[in-house]
Amino acid sequence: MVAIPLVVLAVALVILGFNTLMTGMPVTPGMDFAGGTAVTVFTDDTLEEIAAAFAGYPLIDVESGINDGKYLKFGPMDDDRFRALSASIIERYPDAKIDQIGAAFGETLQSQAAIALAFSFILMAIVVFLVFRTLVPSVAIILSAFSDIAIAAALMNVFSIPLTLATTAGLLMLIGYSVDSDILLTNRVLKRQGSIADKMSGAFTTGFIMTSTAIAAAIAMWVVALLGQVEVIFQISSVILLGLAADLMNTWMLNAGILHWYLEGREAR
Amino acid sequence: MKKDKKERRAAKRPAASDGPTPARSAPSVTTAGGSGRIDWKALLTDWRVALVVLLVIGSVIAIGPHLEDGEIRTNLQYGLDLSEGAWLQLELKARVVTLEPSGSIEDLATALGKDLDTEVLVVDAGRIEIRKALPDDEIRAAVERAGGRVVSIQQGVSAATADDIKRILENKINSLGTRDAKVNTLTGLNGIARYIRIEMAGVDMNTAQEIVGKQGKFEIRIVTAGNASEHVLFGDAITSVGLPAQEPPGSNSWGVSFTLSESGATAFREAAVRHGAVNDPDSHHLIMVLDNETVYDAPLSTDLAAKLRGGENVRQLFASTGVGEEGKNDATALEIHLRAGALPVDVSIAGSGSVSAALGDHFKMMSLLAAVIAVITVGVVVFYRYREPAIVLPMVLTNLAELAILLGICRFIIQLDLATIAGLIAVLGTGIDQLIIITDEILHEGKVPSPNLYLKRLARALGIIVASAATVVAAMLPLVLMDLSTLRGFAIVTILGVLIGVLVTRPAYGRIIMAILSR
Repeated sequence: MVAIPLVVLAVALVILGFNTLMTGMPVTPGMDFAGGTAVTVFTDDTLEEIAAAFAGYPLIDVESGINDGKYLKFGPMDDDRFRALSASIIERYPDAKIDQIGAAFGETLQSQAAIALAFSFILMAIVVFLVFRTLVPSVAIILSAFSDIAIAAALMNVFSIPLTLATTAGLLMLIGYSVDSDILLTNRVLKRQGSIADKMSGAFTTGFIMTSTAIAAAIAMWVVALLGQVEVIFQISSVILLGLAADLMNTWMLNAGILHWYLEGREAR
Repeated sequence: MKKDKKERRAAKRPAASDGPTPARSAPSVTTAGGSGRIDWKALLTDWRVALVVLLVIGSVIAIGPHLEDGEIRTNLQYGLDLSEGAWLQLELKARVVTLEPSGSIEDLATALGKDLDTEVLVVDAGRIEIRKALPDDEIRAAVERAGGRVVSIQQGVSAATADDIKRILENKINSLGTRDAKVNTLTGLNGIARYIRIEMAGVDMNTAQEIVGKQGKFEIRIVTAGNASEHVLFGDAITSVGLPAQEPPGSNSWGVSFTLSESGATAFREAAVRHGAVNDPDSHHLIMVLDNETVYDAPLSTDLAAKLRGGENVRQLFASTGVGEEGKNDATALEIHLRAGALPVDVSIAGSGSVSAALGDHFKMMSLLAAVIAVITVGVVVFYRYREPAIVLPMVLTNLAELAILLGICRFIIQLDLATIAGLIAVLGTGIDQLIIITDEILHEGKVPSPNLYLKRLARALGIIVASAATVVAAMLPLVLMDLSTLRGFAIVTILGVLIGVLVTRPAYGRIIMAILSR
């Protein structure tokens, strides 16, 4: 039972490692971290027309959403060029949303985000240890939270979702959702009377509905953001969906498997 | 895998004596013999429930939804994703150097300032601020020449300088009549600020860039007779401006020193001599004008007049503003005027963004829609599980109460943007999760427990909830303490939501569900 999630985790780590070798980052950084300019406009201009209009600038990518939404991405440029660009964007599309991050600032954000993520994880782990005060169950919770994040991050590469401030927030949210069901499971199994199988299935009944409601809420967000073309919420909800799917597996196979093994060992003694 | 299958079977088995609530079968709410009615009075006077009701009422008042021009408006503050405006993040081009001076750090700073031809300030006993973005090796070499040893070099300015910059920017933006501008220095834990963030509502990016880049027109004039005055020099003749200081030190008599260029000093001396200010300072005041407004008006001091009369070019001037607190405040204002809106350090645009009114409204609508649909979806899923309106309704209402209280608090402390909205929806998700834990914990064994057992189970459920809440708070804390622009709001909302849930709404839900189940 434990083997499958561990294999999936290993595959996820290989993907992240491979991406690190290729690009220097486990997940391909988006504009927030790599620097550049992102523009959202609603227009019926074709992608070719847009590309032609901004041919003089380092245009990396133009994508179209479902309705008339168009997303333009520009590479880093100096202050004067950016001023000229933003002036011509506003002239052509007065209702545009423009966001620009300088390369150096992006690097600062990136290192800060990495530190924040590490600290978040460490603090979370400390709290889990303080709550359960036993090694194996605590490690099981922390491992499955780690696995949730690693799998979600690997899947971000697969679905080419960039790592931005928003998706970093999504990954951090996974910590919350992940430990919720893990703590429920561990608490039920360690602190209640009864047979292991009964306690496990009881915890599963509750935990499964918890994750299902979270998934349902995330799908609602995802659909609205997709149709309404709200890129930030679309990316966050995508990451949460991927992570919650991983969480179902990690809680009920990895964490439950480790607990099962641990309790049987304890009873045998 | 085998074991797993066995457990799934167990889950479908009808509840054994100590077994779990069977999946999807409705908990037997009516088995406990009761009056069949909810004791509303007892419920509403329970302090946990009363607190939630009061907080929700307070929050609704705070949010204040009202009709205006046929549209529903609220008092909620919207950040730059959701309302028209622009933001600029400026990088402060300066260095803070931690060093070990061989002599006094003041002397070292003075020597460095001469050597590097820039302003060098003492921050504290072990740190100086160099107001120029010089390469590290150049700074190290200069510090060694001045007789010190560099420990570390950081990009940015000291907290005091950051405050000055903030004040100057605020002054400038306000003087241009821009509504609703916010200037925030992003100071790290080491007290060094590298970035400053400006948010302006209601303007587009080009206007924002113009406002921040714009300098005021500063002029020094000399009174010739009565109300008439003559031009002496413009702001470009001022090469540097000092901080408000006491002259002589410790005298409580305040002022600002400033330096003129060589040609400026010549123009100054010639004008003072030509108009007779050196002989009769009191009837030929010196006045300083910023954008056609007089900001300073005073006579030449006697010893300055004597020096100018003697034909000496004086580059280092001191404008005194008076004694005490008032003199100090005037000196602070004058310093900004002398700079004419120029910042003490160079800046470059590190990041910027803008949203139009139309797109902001669109995002606002979509966020609202996402939240509403999320609540409905969650309600449907929970109903599918419990099949009992008496449980599902309080659950969804508790969830909504949590959201209302959270928004009520947000209205005072935070601007809503897309990231905080995502945080709100996440709180909604974990909130319902924890209500499920409470419900299942209490309905364990499929029947409603006696009050005694009930409280024991509620306590156990709250134990699980507190544990998972603590982990979420721990995970979000680094984001609140560090400054990662939009992520901070997100983390604050998540932590607040978890705290409100644990401290207020979830205990109340436990009480409500007890009243409903034991009717």
